[in-house]
Amino acid sequence: MLIQILNGFVYGGLLYILAVGLVLIFGLRRVVNFAHGGLFMLGAYIGYTIASIAGFWVGLVASVTVLAVLGVVMDRVVFRPLQDEDPIVTMLVTFGILLVLEDLVRTIWGKDFLTLKPPAGLDGIIMLSGSSFPVYRLAVIALAVLVAGGLSLWLRSSRVGLHVRAASVDPVTTAMQGVDTERLGATVVAIGAALAGLSGTIAAPLLALSPSMGSFILIDSFVVVVTGGLTSFTGAFVAALLIGQLHNLGVVFVPAAASVIPLVLMVLVLLWRPDGLAKKRS
Amino acid sequence: MNLLMLRDVDAFYAQAQVLHGVSLEIGKGERVAILGRNGVGKTTIVNAMLGIASVRGGSISFGAETPRRLRHFTAARLGVAVVPQGRRIVPGLTVRENLLLGAATERPGPWNCEAVFGLFPVLRERAEIPGPSLSGGQQQMLAIGRALMANPDLLVLDEPSEGLAPVIVDELADTLVRLSAAGTSILLIEQNFSLVHRVAERYYVLSKGTIVESGSLAGLSVEVLKKHIAV
Ligand SMILES: Nc1ncnc2c1ncn2[C@@H]1O[C@H](COP(=O)(O)OP(=O)(O)OP(=O)(O)O)[C@@H](O)[C@H]1O
Ligand SMILES: [Mg+2]
Repeated sequence: MLIQILNGFVYGGLLYILAVGLVLIFGLRRVVNFAHGGLFMLGAYIGYTIASIAGFWVGLVASVTVLAVLGVVMDRVVFRPLQDEDPIVTMLVTFGILLVLEDLVRTIWGKDFLTLKPPAGLDGIIMLSGSSFPVYRLAVIALAVLVAGGLSLWLRSSRVGLHVRAASVDPVTTAMQGVDTERLGATVVAIGAALAGLSGTIAAPLLALSPSMGSFILIDSFVVVVTGGLTSFTGAFVAALLIGQLHNLGVVFVPAAASVIPLVLMVLVLLWRPDGLAKKRS
Repeated sequence: MNLLMLRDVDAFYAQAQVLHGVSLEIGKGERVAILGRNGVGKTTIVNAMLGIASVRGGSISFGAETPRRLRHFTAARLGVAVVPQGRRIVPGLTVRENLLLGAATERPGPWNCEAVFGLFPVLRERAEIPGPSLSGGQQQMLAIGRALMANPDLLVLDEPSEGLAPVIVDELADTLVRLSAAGTSILLIEQNFSLVHRVAERYYVLSKGTIVESGSLAGLSVEVLKKHIAV
């Protein structure tokens, strides 16, 4: 049972790192970024390739860096020019980017499933109350907690973090105070994309790499974001842990319905609190 | 040198022109009012400065600078801080965080949270509560405090008396006079004659997007002022 719960946290952790990027981007750019699944998948492949040449950690850093740069480019080329368009247009464009990225990856890396080995030192197994559990999975949980703590510290107590929080509720008033919200937006999209790269690379030893891996996890991430209340970082954290658990219990006990369970949870939460977990009904 | 100067400004929202050749200037140490009825374009003057309404004719200068492109953040960085109509306290931030947001320009000067709390002690007591849960008068103090955090040369206030009880408006008048004595120039956009009368030395009257009158308030009674404006 403990093992099951830990596995739920592993998936929840991955989901959180991915979903919190969506929350950041939605907050500043008001974009529902379907491309995020593609960024996750691309991050996994870049991480995989560099890791097999230069080792896991170099692969991780490379993937995060490349994705951050890609985030800035995407903000420049897509989000900013489309800022005043109907949100549906931007959403469709990001969906298009997802498809293009999937095709690109399929062309470069092929359709076959690939797997990456965990880094040396984290590839062992640990005994927990009589069952064995991979150390790497514990490390993933720890990393998710670290990302959550780091982000929350940054948002709560740094100057830029304050500007990010302010701009996600009222960008115009924030800009009037002297904040360059355009540059801030680019920074935040870069961070969101980098987190997708991070999430993708650390997922590479856990999930089989395939071009469609992004679309799968994207759906659960959206469920996390919506359940958590769209703009709430704490909400996303709680929702990710919940969905991670449910997903995993579903896989174990009702495999046939596993992919539906998170959606059911989302509907129930929204019936109870239409604005998501983080906001009380007004 | 003027802290703020508009020269023949034509300002638009999309295709709709709201300001027609507006010119005005505020020098160092001055207290100036812009008077005008509802919907004549008072807020649009502010919005033009902030790059919210688009300026398609004329120019706006802040101090020695005449930016070619007005971004939302330009005015604050060049020493002109705005207390917007409706106060625009940012939800989700505490009182203190709203103040800190005002310091985004990092302009040097005497104002910081402590100085603002000295001016408005009630904000110190309520520093850690959400900004929007303050009363109207306190929110106005917060909006003024936030603007001061930018250490501006000129403070622009857009209908600060709106929704405030008369006693609070009196306190507001005292505060503005004190701020000006301490070296901050004031541009007060108002429909409240008694506030204007107590604060400003000079006025402009805006009507249908044009300055139709201007002059000194010295020796003018509130009643005479009202008659002047009742155009
Ligand atoms: N964002 C906007 N888009 C389009 N038109 C606008 C916008 N804001 C104001 N207007 C129009 O511009 C005109 C001037 O508005 P403005 O807000 O400048 O008036 P005001 O003098 O500040 O009025 P009030 O005393 O009610 O605040 C009005 O006709 C108004 O309807
Ligand atoms: Mg107005």
